[in-house]
Amino acid sequence: MTGPFTALGHALQRIAAMAAKEAAHIRRDPQTLAMALAMPVALLLLFGYGVTFDLEKLPVVAVDQDHTSVARSMVRSFSASRELVIAAELDSVEKGEALMREGRAVAVVVIPEGFSRALARGERTQLQLVVDGADATTALQTINKADAIASTALSLPVTTPGQGAARLVVDTWTLYNPAGRSALLLVPGLMAFILAMVCVLLTALTVAREWERGSMEQLFTTPIRRGELILGKLLPYVGLGILGVLLVLAVGAWVFGVPIRGSLLTLAVAALLFLIGMLAQGLFISVITKNQMVATQVGTLTSMLPIQILSGFIFPVANMPVPLQVVAQVMPATHFIAALRGILLRGNGLREQWQHLLALAAFALVMVVITSAKFRRRLD
Amino acid sequence: MLPRWLIQLYAVALKEVRHTVRDRRMMALLLIAPAMQLGIFGLAVDFDVDRVPTVVVDHDQTTVSRQHLRRILADGTLVQRMVTASDAAAERAIDTGQMAAALVVPRGFERDLARGKAGHLQVVVDGTDPNRGSIAAAAVARYARIETRVAVQQALRGKISAARIGLALDAAAVPMASPSFPDVVLLPRVLHNPRLATSTYIVPGITALLLLVVTVIVTAMGLARERETGTLEQVMVTPMSPLVLLIGKLLPYVGIGLFDFLLALVVATAGFDVPIRGPLSVAFLGTTAYLTCTLGIGLLISTVSRTQQQAFIGGFLFLLPALLLSGVMTPLWGIPSWLLPVTKINPVKYYVEIVRGVLLKGSTFQDLSFHLGMLVAMGVLVLAFAAWRFQRSLA
Repeated sequence: MTGPFTALGHALQRIAAMAAKEAAHIRRDPQTLAMALAMPVALLLLFGYGVTFDLEKLPVVAVDQDHTSVARSMVRSFSASRELVIAAELDSVEKGEALMREGRAVAVVVIPEGFSRALARGERTQLQLVVDGADATTALQTINKADAIASTALSLPVTTPGQGAARLVVDTWTLYNPAGRSALLLVPGLMAFILAMVCVLLTALTVAREWERGSMEQLFTTPIRRGELILGKLLPYVGLGILGVLLVLAVGAWVFGVPIRGSLLTLAVAALLFLIGMLAQGLFISVITKNQMVATQVGTLTSMLPIQILSGFIFPVANMPVPLQVVAQVMPATHFIAALRGILLRGNGLREQWQHLLALAAFALVMVVITSAKFRRRLD
Repeated sequence: MLPRWLIQLYAVALKEVRHTVRDRRMMALLLIAPAMQLGIFGLAVDFDVDRVPTVVVDHDQTTVSRQHLRRILADGTLVQRMVTASDAAAERAIDTGQMAAALVVPRGFERDLARGKAGHLQVVVDGTDPNRGSIAAAAVARYARIETRVAVQQALRGKISAARIGLALDAAAVPMASPSFPDVVLLPRVLHNPRLATSTYIVPGITALLLLVVTVIVTAMGLARERETGTLEQVMVTPMSPLVLLIGKLLPYVGIGLFDFLLALVVATAGFDVPIRGPLSVAFLGTTAYLTCTLGIGLLISTVSRTQQQAFIGGFLFLLPALLLSGVMTPLWGIPSWLLPVTKINPVKYYVEIVRGVLLKGSTFQDLSFHLGMLVAMGVLVLAFAAWRFQRSLA
């Protein structure tokens, strides 16, 4: 019995043997199992609540220099909103700024002397807002909310002569996320981020460990080829990863109300390609470093912060300078996050997302190939 | 003659430095990678929402509709990337994510305005990113508000007849005596970061994250490696006390951390115009206290793990929440109350506030005394606990 089919059969046998060995490793190491399955769920629960742009009860200091009932009701209307809360009423802006330096207030609203008199005369009146710009996200939300409160302040008991009806009316429809919850944007990003971390973590040490412990030498005495070894090592982790994906999607849907509106098949393919790509990246690091300490450091530096910052998870890719956009386009997390948002929220399928799937497939293929190529069956 | 413990301390520290220096790759990862990453990430962070890709659907096709569209697009928040006559095509463009907003002028827009009725503009936004969506919608709403105000004021002044600007304002109903109408406008004055630039406040935050990533895992795995390779046993037969051994092992990393911080300061000020408004001594004090915490936590992790892999996973499990719940990327103001205790014991949160305070706000020692106190307390506590565990594991 000779021929290409027997050769292929033997290759498959060797891959299966390698996969079985690695699966046994995983099975007998409850820590790895817990990390692959419990960690994504726990982290998603934690961060799904903790990572949010829906800010609430931002502490604002009020400085009322007008001392009238109109000014009082102006201050009250700040506290009435969900986003802002009057944390203190002080008599000078300086005292408010001191609170901001300590980080105990985000803004000072100043109602200047003569505020209600000017309003009664039918004039345009200024309301000052001193904002701590050290956190620009918070500052912007504070300004926007305060602006909304100020512009609706005309319901204050002031005579409003002849305000003609609006000339232009804007009808706004918000698609996919009418309530404007930031969770719908961030949770799919978190899913990708957490899965990526778990993948790199799972595989970054697996080859380096065999080198350090010397069991790599034993593997060399077997007839297994390097590509087969890499595939065999990957397979069990892909299986684990799929379970992780399902768990994470379930938590996203049940706990955070992230819908699954689009094609499940496209979702499955995207997730599978992403898993293979990230696992192979971890394996690649492990293969080239051969040292657990260096592998972990490289793994963390190349995945943890880059995925958080460059993938579009938090900061929009479109705002980045072109060279960094290129980097972002190479990272599988960027494409997986884009695909997840499209499929889960916008009800997309293969027709809209094929480019991202293609990019994910290309990354996975390149990673598996260069990992096999870099892997030397030699003891240096 | 120097006290014996000092000589021992020096010996351990020297051994640890040699260990690190000899491994070129490790040196590069510890000293150069953080500054490089800071430079790259600083360029990438930009929350500003402008140039929202917009598809324009003008069903009215009149001079008036075109004029309004041109003026809405003029402020740059919305950018016209596509023009179509079909609602379905516009919807598809939003479905695929190519466009983030659609601006629709319905048929009869000009006619309504000419007849004195309100002209309707339709905005369809992709709510996937709520921030971008609301800013796009707000840009159009603001335009409409200003248009209305301008029209009313012009009509009030009687300079332009109502008919000419396409308004049928009932002139008789307006008391001509009042030159304007009462209105409250908000006058924001932004301190510390007047342009509200994203990089100005994120770069100090990323500095804190990089210091964390560099120090925790290295210390966590360092001891685990010595235990795995058996060199820890050799050190144990020396007359050194475990405390001296621990401190000696950590000292070089405090040095590396301070050096990284210095380098990050250079990158931040030179590359991203981050100011230094407060006393740098407070920043360095804070950094030292912070490093005590992170190294202590690394050590603690290494005392509870038997292998390098366990140490790595332990380090990771600490790093992820510490990073994401620190207020660097997303503010902590939106966190539900049951999660607040977690952020209160997160050293990264206090350190980020110290660095932002000193650099951006010009905060002084007094302003930040609580933060510094928390860091020192946490550092000493964690280090003491780690030392106690370490001692016990040797016994």
